[in-house]
Amino acid sequence: MGGFLDYVPGDSWLHRLNPLTKIMISLVLCVACFLSANHILILIIIGINLCMGALSGTMNRSLRILEVLSKLAIILFIVQILFIRDGNILLQLPFNILITDAGLSFSLLFCLRFIAATMPLVLMLSVTQMSDLTNVLVSKLGIPYKYTFVLTTAIRFIPIFSAEMTNIMEAQIARGVDFDTRNFFKKIRLLLPLCVPLLISSVKRIDSGAIAAELRGFNLRKRNSGYRQYPFKKKDLLALLFSVVLIVVATQVPAFI
Amino acid sequence: MITIEDLSFQYAGGKHAALSHLDLQINDGDFIGIIGNSGAGKSTLTYVLNGVVPHHYTGDFYGRVTINGLDTVETFPEKISEFVGSVFQDIDGHMVASMVEDELLFGLENFNVPHEEIENRLVWALKSVGISALRYRALSTLSGGQKQKVAIAAVLALRPQIIVLDEPTGELDPQSSRQVFEVLKELNERYGMTIIVVEQKVMLLCEFVKRLVVLEHAKIACEGKVEEVLEQSAKLKDMGVNVPRIVSLAEKLRQDGFYRGKTPVDLKSAEAMIREVMKA
Repeated sequence: MGGFLDYVPGDSWLHRLNPLTKIMISLVLCVACFLSANHILILIIIGINLCMGALSGTMNRSLRILEVLSKLAIILFIVQILFIRDGNILLQLPFNILITDAGLSFSLLFCLRFIAATMPLVLMLSVTQMSDLTNVLVSKLGIPYKYTFVLTTAIRFIPIFSAEMTNIMEAQIARGVDFDTRNFFKKIRLLLPLCVPLLISSVKRIDSGAIAAELRGFNLRKRNSGYRQYPFKKKDLLALLFSVVLIVVATQVPAFI
Repeated sequence: MITIEDLSFQYAGGKHAALSHLDLQINDGDFIGIIGNSGAGKSTLTYVLNGVVPHHYTGDFYGRVTINGLDTVETFPEKISEFVGSVFQDIDGHMVASMVEDELLFGLENFNVPHEEIENRLVWALKSVGISALRYRALSTLSGGQKQKVAIAAVLALRPQIIVLDEPTGELDPQSSRQVFEVLKELNERYGMTIIVVEQKVMLLCEFVKRLVVLEHAKIACEGKVEEVLEQSAKLKDMGVNVPRIVSLAEKLRQDGFYRGKTPVDLKSAEAMIREVMKA
């Protein structure tokens, strides 16, 4: 299972940061992308993401994400550029479609933001164990455990359901259904009926998960029940300082024309 | 102590009663094995013992079940779970975390076990089922048998007074199955825990438990000490229960007039039986 949201075990400095610091950094990187309209700064942020990926031993994952996001970004870019009509016309296409310099600049910025703002969140989830994430949200931020449990369970279920879907598909293949088609619509038509067994097994699983949680005292938990402690260390403060600097830079750097 | 008085239960939407007119008393420190063929009501009985029936799986519930004096209808499952630990048949469905350590911590934290004691309990529970090396592994990377051990360790760590296990060795190899029963025996003998275990491996079960309950068509067909129940091997076979071979052998020897002693339940008593027959 190589889901994008799975934890990648490791012992890098990024892994060892306080989970709250990691959340902060990823949020700051996201926010910085939206505060700045400078293409180069956003490219630098993508670079920072890749550096962090390399340092934390999750480079392969980072590159894979970059690839997937880039593909999506290209689609977004094309859609954007065709619909923005402000600015100087660079190219006039049939059906009165215009390509303008402002459109080009904005679409590029939009796509870079899309990539740069998604990567840190995925990176954060790759280097933070879900349990640490929720524990810190409960103990440091006082978010009720019930909500964080919903979040972790939802994320935990993604690979489980995808494995379940693979099982169902394999069962169908074993009975002669041919999923090996390149026709998108035909594939959808074959996959659609499988949603019913998937839904039923998912509901069953959620139900048994609820029983298991209840029988192990889910409702008895208090805010300070968490066993693991998450003290802030020097490197956390350094990381936070870096975040502040980045935010300031993002607001100060002029827009790239 | 668990007391079941004239219990009948039918799942909402069910066509037949899952349990019908059950009477059973389970004393503190008992080690009980529940056997019976599929659909006899074994799993439902385990749900009754931890309060999942009637709180989670609703239906028509008649009779009375008390655990340590608390009526399960009036007591919420989380209260019952303070003294009843449960290991379910569907291990995957009953996992709540992604990592082994978190799976064990979940219960320990919820029950507010003092932090200084948590580490000891974690180490002890993992060691008891022989999976200390798996502590930091992701659950998705474990085999079925390893997951089963994690589920058992997660319950052991809570040190409940009563442990209810539904086919805890379903996915385990013979050696690991025996290991699990050795652990259960130790818990029963050393800590006086009450153990109630549903199991298909009758031979293994008979070696360890003190009492057997045989369910058939939602009713208790027979119940008592292991030897007493196994003596009715013909009846058990009719019910579809897989009787240990040494019991069948004893039955045959008895029919042919070679043996008059007790029904053997383990290898040791089987050896004694054979020596006696040889001597004669």
